[in-house]
Amino acid sequence: MKKTANLSNSWLTSPVTRAMGALLIIFVIGLLFNADGAFFKWGTHRDMLRAVSVYGILACGMTMVIISGGIDLSVGSILALTAVCFSLFTIHKGINPFVAVIGCICIGTLCGVCSGAFIARFKIQPFIATLAMMVFARGVAKWVSGGQKISTAVQQADGSYKYVDVPAIFNSISSKIMGNNITVVTIIFLVCLLISWLLLVKLRYGRYIYAIGGNEEAARLSGVPVAMTKILAYGMSGLFCAVAGICQAAQELQGDPEAGVAYELSAIAMVVIGGTSLQGGKGSIWLTLIGVLTIGYLEKILSINAVGEDKRLMLTGAIIIAAVLLQKSKK
Amino acid sequence: MKKLFLLIMFSAVLILAGCAKKTPQTTAPGQPGAAETKAKWIIGMSQCNLGEPYRVQQNADVKMAAEQHPEIEVVFKDAQNDTLRQQAQMEEFISAGVNLIIISPKEAAPLTPVVATAIDKGIPVIILDRKVVGDKYTCFVGADNTKIGKAAGKWIVEKLGGKGKVVELRGLMTTPPAQERHAGFREAIKGSNGIEIIFDVDMKWLEPNARKEMESALARFPQIDLVYAHNDAGAHGAYLAAQAAGREKDIIFVGIDALQQEGQAYVKQGLLSVSFEYPTGGKEAVEAAMEILNGKTVPKDITIKSRIFTKENIDAGGEWLSE
Repeated sequence: MKKTANLSNSWLTSPVTRAMGALLIIFVIGLLFNADGAFFKWGTHRDMLRAVSVYGILACGMTMVIISGGIDLSVGSILALTAVCFSLFTIHKGINPFVAVIGCICIGTLCGVCSGAFIARFKIQPFIATLAMMVFARGVAKWVSGGQKISTAVQQADGSYKYVDVPAIFNSISSKIMGNNITVVTIIFLVCLLISWLLLVKLRYGRYIYAIGGNEEAARLSGVPVAMTKILAYGMSGLFCAVAGICQAAQELQGDPEAGVAYELSAIAMVVIGGTSLQGGKGSIWLTLIGVLTIGYLEKILSINAVGEDKRLMLTGAIIIAAVLLQKSKK
Repeated sequence: MKKLFLLIMFSAVLILAGCAKKTPQTTAPGQPGAAETKAKWIIGMSQCNLGEPYRVQQNADVKMAAEQHPEIEVVFKDAQNDTLRQQAQMEEFISAGVNLIIISPKEAAPLTPVVATAIDKGIPVIILDRKVVGDKYTCFVGADNTKIGKAAGKWIVEKLGGKGKVVELRGLMTTPPAQERHAGFREAIKGSNGIEIIFDVDMKWLEPNARKEMESALARFPQIDLVYAHNDAGAHGAYLAAQAAGREKDIIFVGIDALQQEGQAYVKQGLLSVSFEYPTGGKEAVEAAMEILNGKTVPKDITIKSRIFTKENIDAGGEWLSE
């Protein structure tokens, strides 16, 4: 009997269950305010997944960084930089798409590694280092793009424009598969989730990330390579930013140097709502998935009901607090 | 203790994230020595926000026009969508003693006093595309958003034959351009009872937002005849959403601004049915500046005409809107 009670108690208090509670509440709200049945159509859920996938990819990297005890404010800017570079490579330069993808991933990873190096080697606070990278990467994005969106309208030397075709890879990434029921960007998001899970749970470096998040000094004394682990965490965050930037560019058919503003806050909110602790050392990529879905459904429900901007912001703030309190109250 | 640290850190994140966007990006006036040998007059260009493609183009138009006049040098400053910063930059121009100022104010009321200060100091001020309160300025150059919204509304009434279901994607309702494009449009369709606005949301000028909102409209309404977006990026985002839903051929997409690389490109590619030009006025502002600097009189208000771009007339350079 005691054993049964313990198992039951354990299930009720598990982080995943608490995170699911918030998502369930959002779902019930969606059922109640279904906007003439729009909420019951699969297309609405598919569109929600598409819209939230770019944020979700950023949140994968953010999860690793937060579990390591840090924070990454530069994700939105790196997304913009890689979106601009990807558009520049594929639309303007006509570079082979796979070379362009590799190039952009290298750029994003390099940004992340630089942040990680400053944090690990020079002991700069994570939010100061990534704040600097946030500003720097945004500046590079504007410089590379000349302040303009990089699109299929290519400016000639005399100021006139020549219009080129949309690259095939843009159409591929923007397309839908499995009978038009799921978008490729959502598949990419799921792949990123899987990669994050593998890294955090199946590889030694994942355990190192949890270790330094839990107690950095104890980890160091236990022989964990603290500096390299941090660089890895931020490097992975940068890599996922590049993937998100490529998806953003493909969906918009352009590279916008202004893209990604405040995306870091959305990514952090998704991680936190999912239940990963900002103190580090605890959390899971599946909690982040629940956080992504919670915020995604919240935004979609507000959108299909055409809720005004003022009420949207108030409701979003209130529900974020409610979701976090819901989790704490059950401990 | 740990919770306090968390609270402080999270607050710091929010504060710093906000501060980060306002990192100073001031361009110093040209070196006095270089200016003296190179240009006869210095013009200060105070731009409210280079984060918008329209304003990047506006600055580019000013620069292109200025290059035709070797005797002038233009110094550009970007307020990054920050009213207080634009005030400070205006004060920098005044202190530097520029010969003339061109300003595209972010907001009317907060920039009015500093424009008046410039006038008091004998520096002519050309107001570009957005206005200030009152008439203490040298010359206004710009187009008329309400008129453009009205023209769009008339075109829509005619295109739909006075009947249809319309989605309106607003720009950013705290800004005068969006308010005027909305007001002009609503006024133009007022007499047509058959036109129904079934979905009306704010997409904040951004294409990703427009796409999301349009996805919601498509999920909710089986029939949508037309989308009126306050800018071309919004119309394009709506088009992409409709295309993904396989409904882009049943819907007419209307945008405003008609930049060469955006609205005109979309019309040429057949994505939008029409785009209404909202000219930057950069060239006209420089021409007015030359008149002023050469001691000539210019009109108090110069309203620039707009063109309408459709599939039929895009290759001929569009068609002027009638008054």
